[in-house]
Parts: sequence; C-alpha cells; structure tokens
Amino acid sequence: MSDKSKGLSKAREIYLNRSQRAKELKAAGKKIMGYPCVYVPLEMLTAFDLVPYQTCGDMKEPVTEADRALPSSFCPIMRSCLDCALKNKNDFLDGMVTVHSCDPQEKTARVWESYTNYSYFHFIDMPITVRPEALEYFKSQLGDFTKTLETFTERKLSQDKLKSAIKSHNQQRALVRELYELTKPSPPRISGTEITQVIKALTSLPVSEGNDLLAETINEVRNRIDGPEKKPARLLVWSSTLDDTDIMQVFEAKANVVMNESCGGIRAYRSAVKFTTDPLEGLADYYLNEITCARTFRQATPGETSKDYARDLQSRFGYLKSIVKEWKINGAIMLLVRYCDPFAFEMPSLKDYCDSIGVPSAYIEYDYTIGALAPLRTRVEAFLETIAQ
Amino acid sequence: MYFAGVDIGSTMTKVALMDRSGNLLSTIKGPTGPEHRQLANEVMRQALEQAGLRIEEMSYIVATGYGRLNVPFADRQITELSCHARGVSSLFPNVRTAIDIGGQDAKCMKIDKGRLTTFAMNDKCAAGTGRFLEVTATTLDIRLEDMGDIASKATKKIQISNLCTIFAQQEVVALLSRGEALENIVAGLHDALASRVAVLARRLGIEPDLVLTGGVAKNNGMVKAMKESLGCQLLVPEEPLLTGALGAAILAKEVYLKAVTEGEDLPAKSRRLEKATFFG
Repeated sequence: MSDKSKGLSKAREIYLNRSQRAKELKAAGKKIMGYPCVYVPLEMLTAFDLVPYQTCGDMKEPVTEADRALPSSFCPIMRSCLDCALKNKNDFLDGMVTVHSCDPQEKTARVWESYTNYSYFHFIDMPITVRPEALEYFKSQLGDFTKTLETFTERKLSQDKLKSAIKSHNQQRALVRELYELTKPSPPRISGTEITQVIKALTSLPVSEGNDLLAETINEVRNRIDGPEKKPARLLVWSSTLDDTDIMQVFEAKANVVMNESCGGIRAYRSAVKFTTDPLEGLADYYLNEITCARTFRQATPGETSKDYARDLQSRFGYLKSIVKEWKINGAIMLLVRYCDPFAFEMPSLKDYCDSIGVPSAYIEYDYTIGALAPLRTRVEAFLETIAQ
Repeated sequence: MYFAGVDIGSTMTKVALMDRSGNLLSTIKGPTGPEHRQLANEVMRQALEQAGLRIEEMSYIVATGYGRLNVPFADRQITELSCHARGVSSLFPNVRTAIDIGGQDAKCMKIDKGRLTTFAMNDKCAAGTGRFLEVTATTLDIRLEDMGDIASKATKKIQISNLCTIFAQQEVVALLSRGEALENIVAGLHDALASRVAVLARRLGIEPDLVLTGGVAKNNGMVKAMKESLGCQLLVPEEPLLTGALGAAILAKEVYLKAVTEGEDLPAKSRRLEKATFFG
C-alpha cells in the first residue's frame, strides 16, 4: 500500500488486497479474529483488543475445495467463504467467531471448525425472533461469548473498554451514514461502487483505522470535482450481500446506486448501539432488534394471531419508506443470491411493499460468480428501460 | 429514411429493415453460431441486399438480444424484453401478456399500450427454454422440428417430473427402456416445458390477449401444451422468431423520429459493415 494514498484510493487498495493490514497487525503481535457476518458484536472483540476481520467470499474464485464439505445447492456465499478458508486465504486468523444468523451460516460454522485449526472458535446462538424472551436469551449468549474471550485472552472484560469500543463502533456507524448522505444529491457525490470498496475495507481494519479512512473519504468526497455522472435512475439495491464491485458496476453502468441495503452496504450501520448500564444489554438490543436482515422473523405484534398484511409489511419493510423518499429513489432492485431462503421468502412481500409506496421493483437473482453477470445485465437493463419510459 | 433492428439471440440472428412509414422491407433469419461477433455484419449484408439498400442509407439501427453488444454498426442497444414487447404489440395491439421461449431463456412480459411494464425471466439454466427440447430430441434421436407432430400422436399423458434438462434426459432414457411409446414421452416433454414456463407467467399475472413468440412457438405441440397449461387462448404471430428484430426496428424508427421532431442531435455514426473484433 503506498504511503500517500488516502480516502477513496486507499479504500480501493485495501479492497483489492483486504488481508494485508491484518497480516501487518498480526506480525506486530496483534490477534486477528475472523467473523463471517454482521451479526457478530465487534465491540466485544475490540474491547479485548482483538482485530475483527470479516471473512468474505470471492466471486472471482471458482469454488472447488468447499465442495468436498458442503452440498452444491447451498448458499453460494457460504460456499465461497469456506472455499477461501480451505485454500488457506485466512491462515493469518487467530480465531473465528461464528453466529447463527441463518442456517447455512450455522452449518458452515461446524464444517469450518472441523476443517480449520484456529486456537479459538466460538459460535453465538442468535435467536430468530425479536420477542423479549429472545432478547434475554441473546444477552445470555453474549455473556457466554465474554467468558470464552476471557479464557482466550487471559484477561477480564473491562467495562470501560467495552463502553469505549461501543463508542468507537457507533462513531463508525455515524460516519458511514454521513458517507451515505453524500449519495443524496443528484448526481451523487460518491458511487455505489466506491462505497462498496470503502465498506469492504472497513470490515478488514481495526475500528479506529476504519474511522480514519471514513473521515478522509468523507472529506475527499465533499471536495471532489470528479464525482459520478448523473444516470437516468437512482436505485436502491436490497439484498443479503452485495459486496463486489463487478456486480455493482452492472447496476451502475446505466444507473446510480444511491443506497445499498445489504451487508455490503449500510445494513450494519443504519442506527447505533444504545448506552445502557450493562453494556451487553445495549449490544444485545442492537444486534437482535436493529439490524434488518431477512433472517429475523418480524411481525406487527409478536404473538398476534389476526391477519393484517399491510401492518405486517410495515413492520418488516417500513424502514425503506423514508430511505426511498430521502434518497429520491425511483427503482428498487431486489437482488437474491441463489438458494438464500430467508431473502427469497421476503421477495413477494417486498414487491407488494414497494408497490404500496409507489416504487417500481425488479426481482433479480445471481449465484455469486462473475460468470452470471451477462444475464444479470439484461435483466437490469430491461428493468431500467421500464422505469425510463 | 430507413431503420433496422438486429436481434442476436443465443441460437438465431434476426434482422428487420423498415422504412419511415413502418413498412417491412426485408427480414432475415440465420443461425447465430459460436462466433456471433463475426456474423452480425453478414446477416445485415443479406438483409440490405434483399431490400436493395446500402448501409449508408440506414438512419438508425437498434441491436438487441444477448449478443447486442457485438453489433459494431448499431447506434443503440435495447434489451430484447423491450424490443419483444414493442414488436408483439405492433402485431397484436391488444396484447397484455407475451411469452417468448428462446434457445437460452424464457421470458414473460406484461405490456401496456405497447410498452413493457414488468417482466420475469427463467433462472440461469436450460429448464424452461428451447434448449430443453433440443437436448431431449437428441437423446430420442428425432429432429427438433418433428417433435410437435410426434407429440400430437400421443395416446396418454406422461408426467416428466424432472424439469432440469439433464435429469429429464435421464428420465426419458428410463421411460424408453421401460418400453414407453415415443409419442407419449415427447408429449410429456412438451407438457413439462409448458408447465415450467406457465409458472413464470403466473408469477406476473396473466391478462389477455396473450401472445407466444420465440422459436418454440413454431412448434404446434408446444402451442397446444402452453394453451392447456395456461388454460387460456394463445395468439401466435406468423413469424414468431422475428418479433425482437421487428420491435428493435420500430424502436429505432421511434427514437430517431422523436429526436428529429425535438430537434435533438443524434451523433452521426460512420457505418462500416465489418466483423467485430475483440481488439477493435
């Protein structure tokens, strides 16, 4: 990485070589902790002075090794993640924290543990509903997580350090939201492709370095004169994971992606952890209730037996309404990663919700390989043609 | 003032030439082959020859289809979905739903006042496409174009439960070895393909008039199976392969005339009928 690079160019360099910083930190004596999904409370890793590193898949790498351990008709992202791990691309990790965000994640965690040899491996059992009992249970899970981290680091959890970690990660969330403010103008001051690079860089860095990168990027983007061109459509992409620039560029060839509501976009940053007397309480509340992933079952009133579809849709997708309004979105892409059941089941309802708030939407599927991009392009372009008329 | 639509599909390349009043001057169909980059100019040359025109006389050319980016002499690319919708509604003004089954994909389009409003396409696999019949015809050692006639002789319904082309092929072999009559198997294959495509159409909601296009629409057995599967009437154009190219030519004409009316400058394109190259 060149010393001079800052902001966007630095984010691009990190995006292209994500593990470099983690390897440097490892060489300097830090412990690097892998995690596969935004449901792992990174604050707790930071509080123990561990460096969180999101283990991602690689769309450009054909899946070969993972096939000896996972079925082929299975979440392509998890297959790709595990494939990278089995090809020793994450061999600098000291440990791995996995979580039951969805079934493929849980099943893969077990395989991951048996095929790799990290000195620490922890699985967080994440409840699937937002009921109050679920919150209590999840809090107890975070208690267990604390204990295994204490054993691993041979240190007690410091409440002060945890509070300060929450503060830093909240600051990161606020900075990402600030970055997304810059896609509000027309043309946006930063492209969806550039944001993808920034966010994927963040998930490979210690929180303080990520915050510095964000601050530099925001400053650069505010003052830039070479921003993206104005395209005929302003798109919201709603997906499980959209974290690759090749696929983002398929959308951005003929549109501006001004909001990426996925784990490669704003999903993990849309709100903040509340400060509570017991910090674990605020963390449990944030990770269970605030992150809007289709893996969580939401309904208008938990336990209610009467049917009210409009209210139900509101409880599941209501947060999109203000996004659509504030970012002046005129098209929504519902991007499904093949075999992703939790998101597939949301698609018909999400379409109904988009219809109800007057946003044209298109359901598009891909299989997390770059070979699938040509048919994807046709579907995206045809959708853009329908909204341009 | 002349216009052209060039539709490069996965199996066939189609060209339509049109004058400013919308009269079709020539239409050409030819196999796309593995090197469609090399072929667009050749099919265009034939179409021009048939119409007695020169490439320089073309005012605007729209390329469509999966090979649309490989037409160096085109002014603009528009997806086959919009082009089919436009082409079909020029032939059937009351069309609300169109289904196109091509060699590589199946698409269902909702159309309002001649324009595409929504669409659904099959997933990235051969199930639900013309390739499904092509592959199974090879397994059965019959000609693709004879399949419809063979199916019409069926004496009983056979359920082909595998929609995956490869597994359906295995199922066909198993049926043959059990001594099942060829015509019953072929009819079963038509029903299997039709039910797969019908699901796609139902996802969007079917409204009449309903039109079927694409190479598969030339197969009477398939038209019959689709009617049964959808439970409604189905219109088929005389030339079901040409609606994409036709729509592309119409859109070329509309885009050009609108620009002229609004006094907009369309960048002049120096046209040469040459092979596209990867490095050109």
